[in-house]
Amino acid sequence: MIRVHRLCKLYPGGVTALQDVDLAVERGEFVFLTGPSGAGKTTLLRILLRQEVPSSGQVLVNGRNVAALPAAKVPELRRTIGVVFQDFKLISRKTALDNVAYVLNVAGLSRDEQRRRAYLALKGVGLQHRATAYPAVLSGGEQQRVAIARAVVNEPDLLLADEPTGNLDPDLAVEIMRLFREINARGTTVVVATHDRDLIQRMQRRTIVLERGAVADATRATA
Amino acid sequence: MRVGSRLHRLAYFVRDAADEWRHSPGVNLLAVGTLVATLFLAGLVALVLANVDRHLDDERGSVQVHVYLRDSVEPALRQNLFLELTRTPGVAAVEYVDRDEALRRYRAWAERSAELVEEIDSNPLPASLDVTLTAGPGAERVGDAIVAGLVGRAEVEDVRYDRDWLARVEALLAVARLGGGALALVVFAAVVFVMASVLRLAVHARREEIEIMLLVGATPSFVRGPFLVAGLVQGMVAGVVALLGVEAARRGLTGWLGAESLALLGLATARPLPAGAAALVSAVGVLVSLSAAYFAVRRSV
Repeated sequence: MIRVHRLCKLYPGGVTALQDVDLAVERGEFVFLTGPSGAGKTTLLRILLRQEVPSSGQVLVNGRNVAALPAAKVPELRRTIGVVFQDFKLISRKTALDNVAYVLNVAGLSRDEQRRRAYLALKGVGLQHRATAYPAVLSGGEQQRVAIARAVVNEPDLLLADEPTGNLDPDLAVEIMRLFREINARGTTVVVATHDRDLIQRMQRRTIVLERGAVADATRATA
Repeated sequence: MRVGSRLHRLAYFVRDAADEWRHSPGVNLLAVGTLVATLFLAGLVALVLANVDRHLDDERGSVQVHVYLRDSVEPALRQNLFLELTRTPGVAAVEYVDRDEALRRYRAWAERSAELVEEIDSNPLPASLDVTLTAGPGAERVGDAIVAGLVGRAEVEDVRYDRDWLARVEALLAVARLGGGALALVVFAAVVFVMASVLRLAVHARREEIEIMLLVGATPSFVRGPFLVAGLVQGMVAGVVALLGVEAARRGLTGWLGAESLALLGLATARPLPAGAAALVSAVGVLVSLSAAYFAVRRSV
C-alpha cells in the first residue's frame, strides 16, 4: 500500500525533517509510526497526503507516485485516504452528520445517499444519537469519533491518523484504538502516528520508529 | 460531468452559500450594502442621463426652421417659396403662419405675462413659413442647407434655426457619458477591491474549514463554488435593491417637485430608468460581486 524510498524533506533554512527514509506498509496492515517530537512523523503523514512535496526520493501510495502527482490529481488521491487529526478538524458550522456527509458530497453522491451512509458511519462509532449536534457541543471523544466516521465513510484504502488520541484521556484513547482495529479488520490499511508507548504496547502491532528524521526500527512488533 | 451531477453540485453550492449567510450575516450584509450604495448612485446617474437623452430625442423629433417673410412679399412669391420648401427632400411639412396667427400664438404663449401682452397695441410680428423637418440623423444637415439657401433672398427677412443649444447639450452629454464611463470604471474597480477585502474576511474566517475541505479531497473549484454562488446572488440582490431605491427616489422627487419649479430636475427624473439601463445596472452588480468573490477566495484556494 505504501512504498517509501530514500525520502528526504528539507525545509528552508537547512532544517532536515526526513533523511533517506525507506519503509513499506502492506495492504491491510495496521502500523504504528512512533518516535519523539520532531522525529518526522507528521511530516511523513503530510507527504503521504500530499500536503507537502518531498525534496527528493520516491513515495508510492496505492501505486501512485505521490511526489510526481500533478496538483489536479491531488483531490483524487485524498479521496482514497481517510485522515484523522489530533485536533479533530471538524467544520464548526456543520452538524456531525453533515461533517461526515461532506466527504461523500465531494465524491458526488446524491444527498439522500450521503445522509444514509453518513448516518451508518456515525452509528459505526456509536454516535448516531448525536447526528444533529454541532462540534461545539460535542466532547473531545465524541468529536474524534465523528472525525473517524468521516475518515471511513468513503471506505478508503488507507487510513492515516496523526496523534488521534493526543487530546483524549486514556480510556477514550483505548476506545478510539478499538475503532481503528475494527476498521482495519474490514480491510483498510491503518497508519497511526503516536508517541503514546502504552497504547502501542497494548495494541501489539508493527511499529516503525523514527528518530531525527530517519527510520530507527521498521520491523518491531511490540510484544 | 453528468447533468445530474452538475445540478447536485449547484444545489449544494446554493445550500452552502445560504448556510454561510446564516452564520456570518454581518460581513455579507456589509458587502451587499457597499454594492447597493454604489449601484444606487450609478442608477441615479443613468436615470438622469436617460431622461435628458429622451428629452433630446423629443426635441430632435420636432426640428423646425422658421422662415420669417418680409411684410412686402407678394403672395405669388410666398406661394413659390412655400412649394419650393415643400418639395425639398427631408422636409415633412410646411405651414404658413400669417401675422394675425403669429400674434395670436404669441398672446397664447405669453398669457401669464399679462402686462407684456397688454402693451402690444399693434402687430409687430412678421408672417412666417414654419418648416418641419423629417426626424432622423439627417435632419440637422437638411436644416443647415435650407438656412444657407434662404439667407439673403429678397422675400425672406430672417431665418431661425436655433439648434445651437441642442448641439451644446449633446456635446455636454457626450462629455458626461465619456467622463461618467471612465469614472464608473474607476469606481467599480474600487468597489471590487473594497468588496473583495470585505469578503476576504468571510473567507479568512473559514480558512480552517477550507483547509479541511481540501484535505478530505474537495477540488479547489468545489470549495470556491459556494463563495461564487453567494457572490452571484449578492450581486443580483444588490442590483434589485438599488433599482428599487432609484425608482423610489425618482417617485419621491417627482412627488415633492410636483408641477412646480426646478423644471430641469423634473425633466431629469420624469420617466423611470429604461429597461436596458436597469438591466445594465443589474449586470454590472452581478459582475462586480462575482469578481469580488473570485478575488477574495482565489488567495485561499
